[in-house]
Amino acid sequence: MISLARQSLIHEWRKFLPAVMAVGFSGLLLLVQAALVLGIFGSAAVYVTRSSADVWVGYPGTQSVNFGRSIGGDVAMRLHLDPGIAAVEPYVWVEGDWRGRDDTQGAASVFVSGINTSPGAMMFSQVLPDDLRLRLREPGAVIVDRADLEQLNAGVGGEAWINGRLVHVIGVVDGLRGLGGVNVLASLDSARMLDTSNASPGSATYFVAKLRDPAEIESVRVRIKPESAFGPFEVWSADEFASRSQRYWLFDTGAGVAVLFMAVIVFVVGAVITSQSLLALVVASAREYATLNALGVSFTSLARVLVEQSLWVGAIGLVISALFGAALLWLAGHQGVPADMNPVVAIACAVLVMGLAFVSGLVATRGLWRADPAMLLR
Amino acid sequence: MNKQVQNWQGHSIEAQGLCKSFMSGEVTIKVLDGVSIGIAAGELTLISGPSGCGKSTLLSLLSALQKPDAGRVLILGQDITALGQKDLQRFRLEHTGFIFQGFNLFGALTALEQVQLPLGYLGLSDKQARERAMQALEEVDMLHRVASRPAQLSGGEKQRVAMARALAKRPQFLFADEPTSALDGENGHNIVDILHRVAREHGTTVLCVSHDPRLIGSADRVLAMEDGLIGREWRPEKSAHGESNAVK
Repeated sequence: MISLARQSLIHEWRKFLPAVMAVGFSGLLLLVQAALVLGIFGSAAVYVTRSSADVWVGYPGTQSVNFGRSIGGDVAMRLHLDPGIAAVEPYVWVEGDWRGRDDTQGAASVFVSGINTSPGAMMFSQVLPDDLRLRLREPGAVIVDRADLEQLNAGVGGEAWINGRLVHVIGVVDGLRGLGGVNVLASLDSARMLDTSNASPGSATYFVAKLRDPAEIESVRVRIKPESAFGPFEVWSADEFASRSQRYWLFDTGAGVAVLFMAVIVFVVGAVITSQSLLALVVASAREYATLNALGVSFTSLARVLVEQSLWVGAIGLVISALFGAALLWLAGHQGVPADMNPVVAIACAVLVMGLAFVSGLVATRGLWRADPAMLLR
Repeated sequence: MNKQVQNWQGHSIEAQGLCKSFMSGEVTIKVLDGVSIGIAAGELTLISGPSGCGKSTLLSLLSALQKPDAGRVLILGQDITALGQKDLQRFRLEHTGFIFQGFNLFGALTALEQVQLPLGYLGLSDKQARERAMQALEEVDMLHRVASRPAQLSGGEKQRVAMARALAKRPQFLFADEPTSALDGENGHNIVDILHRVAREHGTTVLCVSHDPRLIGSADRVLAMEDGLIGREWRPEKSAHGESNAVK
């Protein structure tokens, strides 16, 4: 059967350009917005996702990595005792104020991560090469993200003050940017030196552990039940703790509602513009549609043509937004802008875009009311 | 070939007491005032009259595009004024063809596709639809332009494609509204010839609205309308070379 929808799109594509662009831009907006959300809120869990630990142990009820509270050193002992656990590392989290050497720019809020400096250690294993990690052993040595240098008014080899103690930047890495403050890597000793809270010796904000068999996570968790002898603690799998941190930022801070609101606005605005463009096309061809109706082609069949047309418009717009979106994500990645994408979110965006096109097509069928065949005889 | 359908005194369409009014602001304008008429199959019947006399409205009622305020239209023995919207569309799909003053062709479709398009909705396979469309285009002598889009066609050619679109359905009823008014002499004649042939060869009921004298002269039967009523009716007498003289 002749597809009026497809033929029109192929041979009169210029007429469909406004609708395709409206869908394409809506799709691009949705995609970029989702990528930024994933990137920004994903960075709330950068400590977990950039490390190779299977298990995180911290203060009970901790909502997000940055809310960690000190737990006793005995917890590490308890972890070491479990046969399923291969390695344990302390992780110390210290919040601080960073002041440049010349102190002209005011303070920046920083999160100091005190980590194990042995080669092959778990914390930040994905962003920190072993040679750089070893150099953290120098007292006061710190590493920051390349993209944060400007904000910190610092350079490699430069010095600065954190909580009034002198530190010096020995190197930079990529992929360390966080949410709410600048991440600074230091050795455990350096971090404890910067800590002003007088934490008890041997304690840490978290203990992270590697399992002999990562699939054994549940049985390990069952065995390591909090016992009063070791003080309060809670055990999470790495994935669980990462999504717990992201969820906190996304939903408990209200940011998620704002994002959702924006997505709804993009959808509505996109649908209004697309449907109006499609409607204008239907009205412009009202006489042709009316002739088909006079020949007996039902309004339902004509409406189906319009919906098919809108779905094609949606599909083409989707391809355009995917191409531009991929280019923008690539650019963002190169510029250190936090942006990320995963298949589930990409598919959700695609479904929204096609939904937008479908709704627009349904709205455009209103134009068929003008296609009354009796008007052709006036 | 369509079978001839005649249900009353040789008439395939029969209208009884048709009334139709339109609102123009607060004023009701009576366009048709109790028109009764029978149209025969196998001939070209022409409704003629000055603009505003109600001829197009009468055509829209006889062709099942609109419903009358009062009266009824019997086609194939069926009271089409009693049909709902869906049944009317079905009826038009199966039995009627239309040719309008504007050609109303889709800019994106080739001549062949324009003709094929409605056939798909009749349930014909692609192959059948294509064959029928080619036959219809041959009938209007447009085989040489099957791959052309409207932008590449002259006015006369467009009207012939529009005719082929109406004919390909092999309708028992063919309705035409001012089919020659936008065309020059030769093209106009071509269209009239085709309308005639369709009536003669296929036994189709051809009902045409026009004030084009060329058409009035070559119709089998002319109904002259005035003020919402059929004033006169006559059969033009054909001369040997196709010219006609009115017999009143």
